[in-house]
Amino acid sequence: MSRHGKSEKAFVRLTKSERVQHVIMFVSTTLLIITGFMLMGEKSAIDLLGAAGKSIFYWRGIVHRIAAAAVTAVCFYHLYYVMFKADGKSWLRDMLPKPKDLVDAYQNVMYMLGLRKIRPKLDRFTYLEKLEYFSVYFGMFIVISTGAMMWTQSYWPKFYLDVADALHLGEATLAALAIIVGHVFAVHYNPHVYPMNRAFIDGKISETLMKEEHSLWYERIIAEERSKPANGAEGGRGNA
Amino acid sequence: MRLQLPGRKSATIPRMHGNFWSCLSGVAVAAAIALFPSPVFASEGQDTCLMCHKYPGLGRYEVDANKRVVKRVFYVNEDLHKASYHGKLNCSDCHEGVDKIPHTDAKKVDCGKSCHVIEPSTGKVFSHKAIVEDLKKSTHGVEGSRAKNKDDLPACRDCHANKPYQLGFQGQTKSMAFLQVCHQCHEEQAWAERFFRHVNYRASIRRPSAEVVKLCSKCHANPGVMARHKLDVIAGFQDTYHAKAIQYGDVEVANCLNCHAPYALGFSPHRITSKRNKNSPTNADNKRATCSQSGCHIEATKAFATGSKVHISPVKAASLMEEAEESADVARNREVFQARILHWIKLFYQILIAAVIGGLGGHRLLDLYATHRDSKKGGH
Repeated sequence: MSRHGKSEKAFVRLTKSERVQHVIMFVSTTLLIITGFMLMGEKSAIDLLGAAGKSIFYWRGIVHRIAAAAVTAVCFYHLYYVMFKADGKSWLRDMLPKPKDLVDAYQNVMYMLGLRKIRPKLDRFTYLEKLEYFSVYFGMFIVISTGAMMWTQSYWPKFYLDVADALHLGEATLAALAIIVGHVFAVHYNPHVYPMNRAFIDGKISETLMKEEHSLWYERIIAEERSKPANGAEGGRGNA
Repeated sequence: MRLQLPGRKSATIPRMHGNFWSCLSGVAVAAAIALFPSPVFASEGQDTCLMCHKYPGLGRYEVDANKRVVKRVFYVNEDLHKASYHGKLNCSDCHEGVDKIPHTDAKKVDCGKSCHVIEPSTGKVFSHKAIVEDLKKSTHGVEGSRAKNKDDLPACRDCHANKPYQLGFQGQTKSMAFLQVCHQCHEEQAWAERFFRHVNYRASIRRPSAEVVKLCSKCHANPGVMARHKLDVIAGFQDTYHAKAIQYGDVEVANCLNCHAPYALGFSPHRITSKRNKNSPTNADNKRATCSQSGCHIEATKAFATGSKVHISPVKAASLMEEAEESADVARNREVFQARILHWIKLFYQILIAAVIGGLGGHRLLDLYATHRDSKKGGH
């Protein structure tokens, strides 16, 4: 049964700018992971490429750099977005960790273990989403700075480059696995949204899913809508 | 067992005692003696040698100094030999003292001897003697090596097989067209072709990078040989970007020789010296010039080129970390420090990945379990 049918009321989860940022991030990161881990390939697998290997290797480097430039640009734009744009400011405000997140995490784990009757009411961004979001800040700081060092390798001491290489590889491995185990599960294999959370395409979230996963946020929006009936049209955007 | 012999696709040889082949070669030699009286052997010329050596079965198993059975093949494929670098030479030009049957008087081939060929630039008799002398003085030679046991230092033949000239398709088509120009003046077509192939071959990349790495790895990746010479196994090279590019088939990326014996900077594979030698391209003072040679890291700074090993072996890195006490050697301490930092970074990420992915995965599984439990209860 679709949990976000057309007849259902929908809310704005992602603005157009956020969706564009996400698509650039998603495409670039996928390319970066593929072209980056090609350097870790086993010889037997590389040998299968045969004579094409040389040009594939050449383009591997070019694609990795183009994708890296794109992802760096989108990261800096995002910083500008959360600092100066109205939607961005509300995004960051709702994203900042609060003591309630720790309580939420504890209560949710207890609920999942069957030691608590009801799930905690979660706000616009859940504790896992906040963790994922700020992990990207940490990860991007590492990979962009070390990547930039390796891009300008001739100017750095060899040992710094060895350190940069080790950090870049470690962070990339962590990020790739976290994306698969964390993010892909949350937006695809989560039973509430299977086969895919469409928010990254149309930016909308259904009323059902709002109640299930962001009930606190849902209640806040409804309360706001009631207090301002003139703005209560379908698709109202939370506290934006 | 399958045995690859030149000129034949393969030959199946029964695995049996080495004497079998000694006997077989003995029979062949005896038959040859019966057919041709000894004066024939006394005369020079390839044809005479090939009377016996043209037979693919000619060879034997021998027990070497290490008591290992080694295969000796005495078969010579005439076509392959003629197409090879030394195809113009007679057998006896290199193999001296083979007047007796069996050849108990044969001397070891000396690559430094003077040939029966005139070197056109000087008009003198040609010889590889200068190169043999260079090799002797190099780190691979009896004079230059610091090894106590000099028995297993490489000889010419360990790196140089007398291969046929092999030009790429482009080289061959160019030869075909260009040879017509040569033939306008040089009547002897075989000579012109050989000369052209020689120049064309020497002017192109002689060995692809992958082949150079394989060749050097014969000794430098062999733990036994390296331990005897108190050297590190070059296992660490496989983790470098250069090695990856080579694996993908890049023939121009730096291989062993581009850094340890760059021709562009006036070095030669026959004059490789230890990094301790002030003139070595891998000496700390010269590394910047080596890294920044044309076509490589032309913007390389001194910091980039020095301060840390290019391909430290994982075994060496592990042994460095075990050095708890600080030694008086500053460079050594720096190596230990660097190995530890890199180790800690790896360890940090191993723990972080295990914790994050384990925690995240566990959380997701728990979520699946809870959702399943709720749906059974008739909830969502």
